[in-house]
Amino acid sequence: MIELVDIQKSFQNKLALDGVSFTIPKGKVFGLIGPNGAGKTTLIRILNQILSPSSGSVMVQGMPLTASHVRSFGYLPEERGLYREMTVKNHLIFLAKLRGLSGKEAQANVIHWLKKFGISDWENKRIDALSKGMAQKIQFIAAVVHGPEVIILDEPLSGFDPLNIQLILDEIKTFVQQDKTVVFSTHNMQSVDELCDEVALIHQGKLLANDKVADLRSKHRNGDYKIRFRGNAVAFANALWTGFEIIETKELSENYREAVIRKRADQSFNDVFTFLSGSLSLELIEEQIPSMQDVFVKLIAAHHHEE
Amino acid sequence: MKNSLIIAAREFLERFRSRSFNVMLVLGPLLILAFIYGYIQSKNQGVLSMRVLVADPTGLMDNRIKPIGKEGLSYAFRQEYIDIERFKQGKEFQQYDALVEINEAIFSNKTVKVRYRQTPNVDLKVRMKFEIERRVEECLVSDTLGPQYVGVYSSIKQPLNFHFNDVNDLYNKAEQDVSWLGYSLGYVMIVFLIVFGTNIARSITREKANRISEVLLASVKPFELMMGKILGVLWSSLFQLFCWIVLVGLGLWIFQEVLLEDYFNGYLKGVQMSPEEWRQLGMGGYAQVNEGISLFYNQLNYGFLIPNFILFFLSTYWVYASFFTIIGALSGDDADGQQFILPIWLLFGLSIYAGYNATLYPDSAWTSFFAIFPWTSGMVSMVKVTMGVSLSSYLLMLISWSVSMVVGAMMLVLAGRVFKNGILSYSHKLTLSLLFKWLKR
Repeated sequence: MIELVDIQKSFQNKLALDGVSFTIPKGKVFGLIGPNGAGKTTLIRILNQILSPSSGSVMVQGMPLTASHVRSFGYLPEERGLYREMTVKNHLIFLAKLRGLSGKEAQANVIHWLKKFGISDWENKRIDALSKGMAQKIQFIAAVVHGPEVIILDEPLSGFDPLNIQLILDEIKTFVQQDKTVVFSTHNMQSVDELCDEVALIHQGKLLANDKVADLRSKHRNGDYKIRFRGNAVAFANALWTGFEIIETKELSENYREAVIRKRADQSFNDVFTFLSGSLSLELIEEQIPSMQDVFVKLIAAHHHEE
Repeated sequence: MKNSLIIAAREFLERFRSRSFNVMLVLGPLLILAFIYGYIQSKNQGVLSMRVLVADPTGLMDNRIKPIGKEGLSYAFRQEYIDIERFKQGKEFQQYDALVEINEAIFSNKTVKVRYRQTPNVDLKVRMKFEIERRVEECLVSDTLGPQYVGVYSSIKQPLNFHFNDVNDLYNKAEQDVSWLGYSLGYVMIVFLIVFGTNIARSITREKANRISEVLLASVKPFELMMGKILGVLWSSLFQLFCWIVLVGLGLWIFQEVLLEDYFNGYLKGVQMSPEEWRQLGMGGYAQVNEGISLFYNQLNYGFLIPNFILFFLSTYWVYASFFTIIGALSGDDADGQQFILPIWLLFGLSIYAGYNATLYPDSAWTSFFAIFPWTSGMVSMVKVTMGVSLSSYLLMLISWSVSMVVGAMMLVLAGRVFKNGILSYSHKLTLSLLFKWLKR
């Protein structure tokens, strides 16, 4: 468990982080989300002790963050590079040694990961001979080659092709199965929906939300339902009475429609069914839970509105 | 520290595997050897014939010297002291190319002074030495012991010391070759510092440009990363230096055994001489009268020179490395680095001037200042070490070395601050105020 307590960071006169506090649970995928310039990368650099906070503290299992903690972290930065003139294998061994592995351990781990990613044949190739996708795989391996317990990935999917995205997502799932903690900063809300157990939303250096993904989405439900039915559109509108508002309707075929309705006042899911079942042939009633994308946009907009 | 060593090893290997490093590994010593060879050969220049006036006030030579060659040297005798100014200006002496002074002190000081108007060719010098030395032996031994003892005396005698001087430059000030060699060594040191110092700055700039710095900084502290770079580049420079020393040493040995064999093993053009006769010419024969050979093979104390070169290279590198680190960390891009190299070039220029000053005025106040000023002390020390120093002067040099090491360490602390702040700053506009801001934090 990693705990960030009232982290503040300023650069010259600009406040990059303003009293951010949250807890990253062990063995989960924790999403760090926010628009560009929100302060995510600064926060991640503080977690890696690349930057020190102006005030506040980071605790790991109740102890202040130390260099040895950081050495057991894996880190894939957003701004990532490689030594272009080195070979794949030597490069990875070099980085693994910097993370505290012995030469033998580093060699064994590198061979394991290259094999796992199906790029063993490339181990003696120079980095500058690799394709972009291949180089990205190497960068990812470099972050995890020393078997870290905490893996911090800053925008790990940016620039990846769909195949590599799936590869990375699968690996992240595997880490969680191994009870490892993954801190995952991204703009890709679909991947947050798919992977993250919990998120912290940061905007303009402030923490706007910190909750489990399911709870966050649930909290921001609008009371929208998707309904698919066979029957007359007029009958459908009449049946809803005044308890629901029709947001949109779509004719799928003759007398076969799909609509999104939003409840008013204290209507419930049962009311929808009660109102419609007598006059229409219902095929689907589904509550519309907002995606993380919707939640993200909604929270940012609300923050701007408040300002 | 362990991480610094890992980074240093990578830096070293990167340089070691680069083509330019390997080309310079061989090309550098070849250029130095070519220079030495050319220098030695250039000392063989000079006039091929001479009329020599022997000033023999005691009449020791009996107006006779037996020539061993047919051409080139002829002697005339005067039984009087001839003042050098008289020889230079006097009309009656203008027909002579050189004046040899043989006086009664020759038996005690074993010294013969030869003043020439134009530098003689090495062949002439050797022959003159041989012929005069033999005549002195003949006169001395046959007059006192009898002619039958000349051979015995030759085998046990000590050779005469011949001092060849230009009549216009009696103290050979223009030929203080040893000190100029020291200056050249200091110059080589500065070239090494420029090449390898620039390597530090470029390495940091490149890592910033390809964004690997942040990957590294997640594993190592900025100071460790900086020290790793400085150490790695130092290792590669020392390795190259070591290879240069070995290759130049090997080259000098090959010169001695093959290319310049005649100079060392004895052979006088047009003259048949037995090895015994050649031995009588004294140590080295040609090697003694060719200033180039004398300089590189007799005068230089390599056992003292090489360790001191490395010692002062280390202190100077230490002082300059922090400057190059600051430049690398400050740079937003390559163009910035070029711009900020200028102040370092000025310091290198000052260093080269300091070496020049120390060569011409080894005991001046400015030389004393440059000897203690950390950015110039390495250069001045090289000149002094090559010229030869007294124990007290050497102790002063070691104090200046310690000052350089302390100043270098302090500079590295400042460089560490700039490095820490600058290493993750990309594409920023470089200003002096930014530099001071980073130095404070």
